[in-house]
Amino acid sequence: MSTQNEFREEPGCEVEQNDPARIEAQIAAGQRAAVAPNSSTYGSDDAALKIGVYICRCGGNISDVVDVEQVAETVKLIPGVATAKVHTFVCSDPGQHTISDDILKENLDRVVVASCSPFLHEQTFRGAVARGGLNPYLYEHVNIREQASWAHKHDPAGATSKAIRMIAAAIGKLRHAVPLEQIKLPNHRRALVIGGGIAGLKAASDLAARGIQVLLVEKAGELGGHLNERGRVYPSEQDAAKLVAELAQRVNRDARIEVRLSSQIKAVSGFIGNFKVQVESEGALPSEVTAGAIIVATGFRCYQPQENEFLYRTDPCVLTLPEFIQLMRSTPDSARHLTVNGRAVNNIAFLHCVGSRQLDGVHEPQADGRLNTYCSRTCCTTILQQALAVRRRFNKTGVYSFYQDIRTYGRGEENYYIEASKAGVVFFRYNGEEPPKAEATPREHARRGALSITVKDTLTWNEELTVPVDLLVLGTGMIPGDIADLIEQMKLATGEDGFLQEVHPKLRPVEVAVNGVLLAGTAQGPMNIQETLSAAGAAAAKAAAMFAKEEVELNPFVAEVDQDACCGEAQCVTQCVYEGALRLVTREVNGELVERAEVNAGLCVGCGACVAVCPQRAIQLNGWRLDQFDAMVDGIAEGVPGQNCAQELVQIG
Amino acid sequence: MSESFVPKILVLATEKCAYPGADAVGKAHQEYPSNVHILRVPSPVLFPEDFYLRSFSKGIDAILIAACGSDCPYHGAYEKLAARIDQLTDRMKAGGLETERIRLTAICTVCIKAFLKEIALLNEHLSRIGPVDRALAEQLRTESLARLQGTDQLEALSSDARGILV
Repeated sequence: MSTQNEFREEPGCEVEQNDPARIEAQIAAGQRAAVAPNSSTYGSDDAALKIGVYICRCGGNISDVVDVEQVAETVKLIPGVATAKVHTFVCSDPGQHTISDDILKENLDRVVVASCSPFLHEQTFRGAVARGGLNPYLYEHVNIREQASWAHKHDPAGATSKAIRMIAAAIGKLRHAVPLEQIKLPNHRRALVIGGGIAGLKAASDLAARGIQVLLVEKAGELGGHLNERGRVYPSEQDAAKLVAELAQRVNRDARIEVRLSSQIKAVSGFIGNFKVQVESEGALPSEVTAGAIIVATGFRCYQPQENEFLYRTDPCVLTLPEFIQLMRSTPDSARHLTVNGRAVNNIAFLHCVGSRQLDGVHEPQADGRLNTYCSRTCCTTILQQALAVRRRFNKTGVYSFYQDIRTYGRGEENYYIEASKAGVVFFRYNGEEPPKAEATPREHARRGALSITVKDTLTWNEELTVPVDLLVLGTGMIPGDIADLIEQMKLATGEDGFLQEVHPKLRPVEVAVNGVLLAGTAQGPMNIQETLSAAGAAAAKAAAMFAKEEVELNPFVAEVDQDACCGEAQCVTQCVYEGALRLVTREVNGELVERAEVNAGLCVGCGACVAVCPQRAIQLNGWRLDQFDAMVDGIAEGVPGQNCAQELVQIG
Repeated sequence: MSESFVPKILVLATEKCAYPGADAVGKAHQEYPSNVHILRVPSPVLFPEDFYLRSFSKGIDAILIAACGSDCPYHGAYEKLAARIDQLTDRMKAGGLETERIRLTAICTVCIKAFLKEIALLNEHLSRIGPVDRALAEQLRTESLARLQGTDQLEALSSDARGILV
């Protein structure tokens, strides 16, 4: 990659960098640009540019509509275009080789690929360009598939002329392009893990095993989280508390992991490699820690039924699933039946999907107006595990399951359904729009059961059935953790369900839009323990990969101030909301102290709010300069002068 | 309107929302006229007023600013953008340039229908109002730049001098 740094200077640029005459000329040019940005002032020496244009057929996806040969012939006429080639798949190995070989052989100094959406292959082609020894930011991607051939299928002439204009625009942009380098910042080799449940413990332990220092912050007074209060985990039937205690012990013994209990995050600032975090521990003053990466393992909360939802809190014979697990754990082995509210439990009903898969118009929204429309994923198997356990421990107790769908989706989980069926658990299936009703049994019938559950059972063609039971267990699921402060401090994204959202579930799992922040476990949605551990392992691996480098590399698309053009008026500074990203600094210019705007590349997010207000055009976004946008507009408006790509071809549908 | 007039539409599509939204239209094989040209932008908040006016002066007949709306990944950028476009619209109105030529809207990554609706609406407006008055746009651009510069000169003066001027 060192060749990137040795980017060939264009002729006429060989003057000493700090030649006063040149600086003066630059200032003059900058001022001219401010008065009339219409006339471009640098990088437009056409004769000096050698541009390579590569047009992809995409195996017919593009070439069935766009006349790619005509596109190639036409764009060759644009000044500076040294070569224009058509390839069936530019993204293939031979396609990429053509680009890197041409750069070397023909001394290309700008490359355009017209193919699919940049989200698919922009990075691919930047790589090919870099392999040819050219700065990867002297490359432009033109989208002629999603935004031309697929969108104008019945207008091949229009699609072809549009492709030509879009390539002309890209070439215009490249005329004003300058080589860019990724931003490199020091990397603090220490991770902050927020949350000491099984996800946080796993992430911390995996990171430490890779030799990385970890600070683990837990808000409760002990490690382990929800698993401290669970019975046995499916499908291995190990004791949950024991399992998590082993992991906690490993974490506590590891010298590389510092654990802070009863502690909370108060503020987060900084960026990847350099986060500054205020941690407040009970009975201590807040302290600031530096971390290179943050893993959010804040977990979930158990859904608490609303007042009177299925008689919860009104009738003592109604329990949530976690409460039922506690009851099973606290019932002595010698007991011959469960006991609730002083009476023997002869029949139990398990009601699935309480607080999950909620429907508008059927269920009451939460206090914040949200409906939990999602499936909580773990409750079905947990219910069946508990139902089976009841049948095995107390074989005289009748067990009834009221479900919408049985979602025992994981490996080994379906066995719980099969075994529960064999063990005599009776299933009733309800339609989500008509959930079963629970009523307290009138006193005269109380001997048959404290409660009666009425269901329209779709398994018996909507027959209305009433089942008397002594205990109703509500199959409550997971809701998002109470982390509003953290979401605000770290600018995290949440989905409609309120759980944290990863950038892309398939291409970038466990990553969030904020670089250097990763998600582990149920903070991002309902997961079982296996999935939680996988996510935590993935987050730890990704954090460790970030630490593999001495420096953090960031995209160069941030604001930059032309120090010669800046007058220190600070209009830009007033527009910036990101603390520390853009500020005024005092420097000495020709023996005088002057104020100039300065960007902190690590804190700048590249929104460009500052760019519009500068009268001098002194502040620009790298890779997205205003003169580049002007040039693109010209390419679209003018196309290739004299060529048959004028708008007249287009018919409005 | 003469039948030969085919307008040029420029779409400034945000990288995080509207650009993938426009991709989604193509992926769904939904069609719209090929006079629509889409440029990817981190956030259109970066454009000064004169950028739009310059585009009109170059023969772009309408500009659709397809932003992220409330999903904007940058703090406060959408609100700033909306204020800037409001100001631009006011200036266009005062200067006699049809305000139908500029539209600010939010297009999400899956907003296929909304995208198609916006394009249809702009083409409909343009078939009514016809080609942009390029000379007028150029005049407004020059004025806009002078205003930017004028503020600059005012700011550069000492506060005393400014007091006298104002």
